[in-house]
Amino acid sequence: MNIDPLKALEGKVELLKKELKSLEARVDDVQSDASQNQLSQTNLLRDNTRRLTRTDDRVAELAESVHRLERLLVALNRKVRAGETRKADFDHWPDLDEDLIAKILHGQDAYARRPQTPQQAKEIRKAIAEYDRRAAEAIEAAEALTHLPPDAESLWRKHYRQWRAITTRQRPEAPDDDTHAGDSAAKSAGNEAVARARRQIRARIEDAVAHDLLFPAWFENALGPAAPPGKADVWLYTATDVVLYRLLHGITSPADALGPAPQDEGHRKDLHDRLTNECAEHRRP
Amino acid sequence: MAADPLARLADRQHSLRTTLRALRSTPPGSPGFHHLLTTTNDQVEAVMQARRELEADRLTIPNRAVATATTAAALVVAVGWFDAWSLLSLLLATATAAAVLVDPAGREQWEPRARTAAITAALAATLLTPLAHGWAALLTAAGIAWWAWRTHR
Repeated sequence: MNIDPLKALEGKVELLKKELKSLEARVDDVQSDASQNQLSQTNLLRDNTRRLTRTDDRVAELAESVHRLERLLVALNRKVRAGETRKADFDHWPDLDEDLIAKILHGQDAYARRPQTPQQAKEIRKAIAEYDRRAAEAIEAAEALTHLPPDAESLWRKHYRQWRAITTRQRPEAPDDDTHAGDSAAKSAGNEAVARARRQIRARIEDAVAHDLLFPAWFENALGPAAPPGKADVWLYTATDVVLYRLLHGITSPADALGPAPQDEGHRKDLHDRLTNECAEHRRP
Repeated sequence: MAADPLARLADRQHSLRTTLRALRSTPPGSPGFHHLLTTTNDQVEAVMQARRELEADRLTIPNRAVATATTAAALVVAVGWFDAWSLLSLLLATATAAAVLVDPAGREQWEPRARTAAITAALAATLLTPLAHGWAALLTAAGIAWWAWRTHR
């Protein structure tokens, strides 16, 4: 113990200085520890990200392989079944004769035809009367051409022009008073024929499903190897329509169920689009 | 087929008369009408062609003669009444005359007589040139316009 207060104070200051130094050294240590820690954490994170990316790539590769395998399996399944399974025939329909097909097509035409109003019929009759009047005039003019002297150029011109007035025109089709009644008959006959054809086609598809027959390639391409679970009725409905479409429009492609899309707008194009969409829906996993 | 254009025209007019008799007895709505109409149209075209050939045959020499006269008159006027402004009318008339000399009847249905009108107008314009100078070209232009209108209408 120092008895001189000044010396004692100096001693205390020295002590405090030492403590301060040791504190500074500790703070430095802590700082370097923290930065080291942060660095290692960052490295760890980077490693993990890299590993994760690699795993993602691997998963994508695996998914592709699974898809390939799935397709291979379908093809293999087909080939195995083709060897020993009886094939379903959806291309030959001796019961659905040409008369029935014609009835269906007539019915479709009747639905597509716009009914003629009495006003339209009146206008067509007027146009026909006008055409007949001009035809009579033109025939008179042509008759005059057979007698004219060669010099009368203005008369030749006049009669020739009158004759030309008829050759550039078409006589409109006469309005048929029975069109409406005929259309109604064609529509109901068409509906009956469609119902009959649908029944037969559906029965054959159901039979093929029941006996586990091998579907034709075009059928499987369009509708998949089997009905999606829980949607058998909708699938059967679409399948029936696809077969009927092929039958009505003479599609014989062994691979493409519906053939090329029709160019013209109308019932056939609508049906083609509807069936394409429905088939895509059924094929979806 | 008759070699003489007038006889050929009479011949074709006779055939047309026969076809027309058949056409008259067929009502316009009947199935054969359209076919008969097409046949008659061919006959009418044949008659028109025969008439054109007859007219071309008749007008070839007069058209050439007027064209030659126009060329000669244009030369005389150019030398005798020389005037730079008049040259326009004379050159146009000479060009028209050259065209008619090369092809006096043309190819179109109503062309032979239209060419006669054009070359007559060119001759008249040439003769009027000493009085009307370059303005006479308007007469030739009118003749050419008449030819174009009659031919292509």
